[in-house]
Amino acid sequence: MKYLPLVAKNLFRKKTRSGLTVGSILLPFFVICILGTLLATLDADPSGGAGMYRIAVRHKVSIANFLPATHVEKIRQMPGVKGATPFNWFGGQYVDFSSFNIFQRFGVDPEVLLDVFDEAKIVEGSAEEWKRDRSAALVGRLLTRKYGWRLGQRVTLKGDIWPGTYEFTIRAIYEGQDESILFFHQKLLDERFPARGGRTTNIWIKADSAAAVERLIPAINAQFENSPWPVRAETEKEFQNSFIGLLGNVKLLVKSLAVIIALVILLIAGNTMAMAARERVTEIAVLRAIGYTKRTILGLMLAESLLLALTGGAAGVLVYVALLPKLKAVLLYSPLAGFAAGIRLFPEVLATAFVTTLAVGLLAGLVPAIRSARRPIVDGLRQVA
Amino acid sequence: MLSIPLKYNWRNLFVRKITTGLTVLGIGLVVAVFLCVMALGEGLSRVFTASGSDQNVLVLRQNSQSELQSGIGRDQVPIIETLPGIAKDTDGKPLASPELVVVVNLEKQGGGSSNVTIRGVGEKAMKLRPTFDMEKGRMFTPGKSEVVVSKSVSRRFASCDVGQTIRFGAYRWTVVGLFDAGGTAPDSEIWTDVEGMAADFKRNGYSSVLARTTDRAGRDQFLAGLAGDPRLALEGKIERKYYDEQTSTAAPIKFLGVFVGVVMAIGACFGAMNTMYAAVSARTREIATLRALGFGRLSIMASFVLESVVLALLGGLLGCVLGALAVKLALSGVTGTTNFATFSEVVFAFRLTPELLGTGMVFSLVMGFFGGVFPAGRAAFTKITNALRQVG
Repeated sequence: MKYLPLVAKNLFRKKTRSGLTVGSILLPFFVICILGTLLATLDADPSGGAGMYRIAVRHKVSIANFLPATHVEKIRQMPGVKGATPFNWFGGQYVDFSSFNIFQRFGVDPEVLLDVFDEAKIVEGSAEEWKRDRSAALVGRLLTRKYGWRLGQRVTLKGDIWPGTYEFTIRAIYEGQDESILFFHQKLLDERFPARGGRTTNIWIKADSAAAVERLIPAINAQFENSPWPVRAETEKEFQNSFIGLLGNVKLLVKSLAVIIALVILLIAGNTMAMAARERVTEIAVLRAIGYTKRTILGLMLAESLLLALTGGAAGVLVYVALLPKLKAVLLYSPLAGFAAGIRLFPEVLATAFVTTLAVGLLAGLVPAIRSARRPIVDGLRQVA
Repeated sequence: MLSIPLKYNWRNLFVRKITTGLTVLGIGLVVAVFLCVMALGEGLSRVFTASGSDQNVLVLRQNSQSELQSGIGRDQVPIIETLPGIAKDTDGKPLASPELVVVVNLEKQGGGSSNVTIRGVGEKAMKLRPTFDMEKGRMFTPGKSEVVVSKSVSRRFASCDVGQTIRFGAYRWTVVGLFDAGGTAPDSEIWTDVEGMAADFKRNGYSSVLARTTDRAGRDQFLAGLAGDPRLALEGKIERKYYDEQTSTAAPIKFLGVFVGVVMAIGACFGAMNTMYAAVSARTREIATLRALGFGRLSIMASFVLESVVLALLGGLLGCVLGALAVKLALSGVTGTTNFATFSEVVFAFRLTPELLGTGMVFSLVMGFFGGVFPAGRAAFTKITNALRQVG
């Protein structure tokens, strides 16, 4: 501890260099934090680990096949089911097909939806109005911010799977896990297309308990095994994972990126330490001559490198934490909008960043420190810089 | 203006081997990372830009984003086939293929599953897609629950080789052949007979109709004919345009590549600046001597900026080599991701184009310039007398 002032003095002896090094560690760190956030967003449990007892049901062949409305009725009668709603992918078009105007739209049973997703809160308008009005839309807080929607405003969608033009009135705004969905009454589609028999892409179920979930999943799969529409029931987490699986090797790509970036930081920090060590050869020899041991020199150099990495890393994390809300707002308008909705501050990202900092600090200082400590005193004293 | 020989800078770079080496490596890695991510995006967009012909028209239900959302009634097909402007085959039949697109979830090789497009096609489908080529086995026989699989899909998914059976739900389909479509959209698909498939999936219509038109005038006539018939409620899209619109699938990856690339480049730029500052401060006396000999401020400045640019260009070259090696060796196989317009997998390969390599070099040039300009400024404004007096 008593050497701390010396280490700090050494570190900031060349201000430009230290500043630049901290800067060049900060920026890659910032990128690592963001990549980590992307990964964590992909991995995040939508129920927040709280166990929401939800089950998602789709056609066994794939998500793009339909299930009949009678399936919903049959499921509702099964013991352990608290509520079940059709959850019908509408597709369609809002304004145009540009990535800015793409968000999810689902036809649902308004009476049951808020019981199934019971953690969602209505923050404007009311559940009663959303249930009463046949052409009502329930929209997420994020969508209202993105498009400047207000309560009572009309939103027009053009259908493709369900052809036609649809005009919805925003009757309620919700806050919850995914605030970028527009819900409307599935009945509306059933009335326009009676021949389609109320078909839906998914059914979402709320069960009584964790035990009920475990019992229901095989029971539901078995119930429809021999029907013309066999299903696959899975937990909310499994359902979400299957979507991430669809992205293919994106996770591996992001992980490899993060590793290479850490390597770049290592190079930059190592370079600075090598420069510092080279300039101080004579000085270190003097220290050794007046009685500092090899070990102390080694410790001093390592401590300096560690402090350098920590300063850069801490600054990177600070910038990241400070910029995250802004960044999220910007990303919502970028092609990465699909991920941006789930972005929040993940503690595991901060922890990983901290560990990386320590590792970089120690590794970067290792070679210059050992070389400085090992150099014979006479050689060092003789050296002309 | 008297300019300092380039040799001076070149040799200076090699005096500090380790520092130069580490900086070059740092810049090289940044360029390599940028290139790999962009090669991924490029490979993905290439699938879409290479797909489709200007002469083919894809007929969809109005306002459909993709074939998956579209639907065409059986009774509408004869109307489409008799519209003016459509090309005729040698047998006198119109060159049009009613097609049905269904997405199925299949097991991948080595675990996991993903969605794959199964396309039921009419007899003219292959004539409409000139890149389609049977590689192994034979074409399916209509009405026999047989499929042909693209070579790339067969490599990524389980039980998709000739002689094996694909199961989904209650269906059992035998693979009788592998095809190659030259890196275009069908390379992500499985093909079978449209009528057999409609029966299996209990569909009483099609998803789309692909039609060849006679020429540009014929195409316009055909499109106008489609739009002019309100009974149909259909729209025609030029096939190439249809695929071009799906190129946005690659936008997130390209965005990530540029974002990571730019932030990292600024970081690497700081690293280069560090190296250059160290170079300048170690050579203070030398610079003063040069000034005393009569070299102008501008020549000193140009000389140091040049040195930094050379340093960065070495890094850029290294980055291009690393990137090219990575794409050639580690990332040479086919990979896949999901096209969320069709909810199914697109199979593609990394693609490092000369343009991308050029961008990488420009990237390193910019890093070198900004990394060098401030240290060069410091060097140029060194006070001759003070610097010469400096010891060590």
